Amino acid sequence: MIKDKKKIFEAVVDKVEKVSRSAYLIETDLKEEVDVKAGQFVSIYCDGLTLRRPFSVYSCKASKIGILFKEKGKGTKYIKSLKKGDLVNITGPFGNGFTLENKKALSVGAGIGYAPVAFLKSKSDECGIENMLLCGFPNKNEIPDLVKADVICTDDGSYGIKGSVLDAAENILKDYKPQIIYACGPLIVLKKLVQTAQKYDIPVQVAMEKEMACSIGVCRGCVIRVKHDGNIVNKTVCKDGPVFWGSEVVW
Amino acid sequence: MGILDVNLNGLKLKNPIMTASGTYGYTDEYDDFIDVSQLGAIVTKAISLNPREGNEHNRITETKAGMINSIGLENVGIEKFLETKSPVLKSKNIEYIMNIAGSSFDEYVRLATICQTNNIKAIEMNVSCPNVKSGCLEFGVDENVLYDLVKSVREVYKGFLAVKLTPNVTSIEKTGAAAEKAGADAISAINTLKGTSLKVNCINGKFVKTMVQGGYSGRGIKPVAVNAVLRLYNTVNIPIIGIGGIEDIDDVIEFFAAGAQAVQIGTANFTYPDTALKLVKELENYVVKNGFKDLDEMKKELRR
Repeated sequence: MIKDKKKIFEAVVDKVEKVSRSAYLIETDLKEEVDVKAGQFVSIYCDGLTLRRPFSVYSCKASKIGILFKEKGKGTKYIKSLKKGDLVNITGPFGNGFTLENKKALSVGAGIGYAPVAFLKSKSDECGIENMLLCGFPNKNEIPDLVKADVICTDDGSYGIKGSVLDAAENILKDYKPQIIYACGPLIVLKKLVQTAQKYDIPVQVAMEKEMACSIGVCRGCVIRVKHDGNIVNKTVCKDGPVFWGSEVVW
Repeated sequence: MGILDVNLNGLKLKNPIMTASGTYGYTDEYDDFIDVSQLGAIVTKAISLNPREGNEHNRITETKAGMINSIGLENVGIEKFLETKSPVLKSKNIEYIMNIAGSSFDEYVRLATICQTNNIKAIEMNVSCPNVKSGCLEFGVDENVLYDLVKSVREVYKGFLAVKLTPNVTSIEKTGAAAEKAGADAISAINTLKGTSLKVNCINGKFVKTMVQGGYSGRGIKPVAVNAVLRLYNTVNIPIIGIGGIEDIDDVIEFFAAGAQAVQIGTANFTYPDTALKLVKELENYVVKNGFKDLDEMKKELRR
């Protein structure tokens, strides 16, 4: 096994299952052992489409990886249609992933952003690092069956704490007092979470998302503006990210 | 001598499969997937005199038969390229053509002069950049402007000079002939088509529009590219490097049949990052399987 090497895998689908009203889990066998960091992603070739679809990894054990996704368009419709035994072309793993620090942590996953932080939580558990997992969904029906979180909130209160994940996060910051936050979710949620965390002087690692083409930093299609050495520069979500410090992102 | 050897007006390559500018980085970025040095050549990302930050966001989007990009030529600039990228190309034995982009005559000439001084063996001029002086009209759309531009570059640069033509013109024969007359060694055809994607979503009765306006590439442009190559083949006497929507071996053969001496793989690198090398192997098989001594012999037969 060569670690840190990006590869092309002709993977075999183990299963695709519906895990909530709009989310699915696909598990595939890459046929060789891979080492994936939480927050890294893989890109899936979707039959007939020009651009691969990037997904952060939800689980990785030896040669098997799992991905959580929502059906959004043609690509995810194709992935949803895959059956056990089908071949699926996967490239990766890409990007930097979260840097797990030996600090009391809060992980925040909004919606499908649950996937990489849940993966991180499993890694922090292995290392014995205290990490509270908070996630938020619009309602009970959108919560994947497989969710294992310390705190769950729903916008409409149909399950867990009623309200946004941001309000819940702020309360947790006050009482639980984490030293670091890891987060993934919609841009607006990440932005507001970083603002809130700044009030309490807690650093946040955010996993960003952007439409991309090459996945390896060459096409410059997925750049965001990031503060670097006193300047504002372009960084690619696919290679420099997808994880950035919340304080360096130009929101 | 390999059976895929190709001689483009003095530029000798071990095979005719290259990767197109903007899709392959500057050097060995695809090395995790393939041995890049086995390709005929890579064409670098367009390099300008000074580093460029490129365009504001929403730079790419997929279309039904390809993609649209509006990167805006973000690149490290020639100084950093020479300092950090060209040593990698040398040490890894990667054959390359440097793609250059300017915003004025002067910038092209200065770029070409630097290439000459630094013994850059081959360059490809991107002439689809806006000419600031003439109201940002692209250099490559007017055959007279193009002639003058290529001629000024030719005067200072002695290596292999390819001109990458834009398809966004009334007559590509005219711009192709102008490039040849001005002293180009080869023509690369085609650059991206002008395209706009306007994706509309209706969320709670409100329209959210996402627009990407820029260069259209991918399988949808292949017929346009083949048409351009065929017309150029009947017009100019310098080699043509075919580019546009190439994904498989049949596409490569189609471009050769239209008159291309070599091809570049662009958008397909994003779909399958090993496309270019796969095509090298498939082309070799194709030549052998069909009983030809080498690619040159096959090309002659193709154009009879």
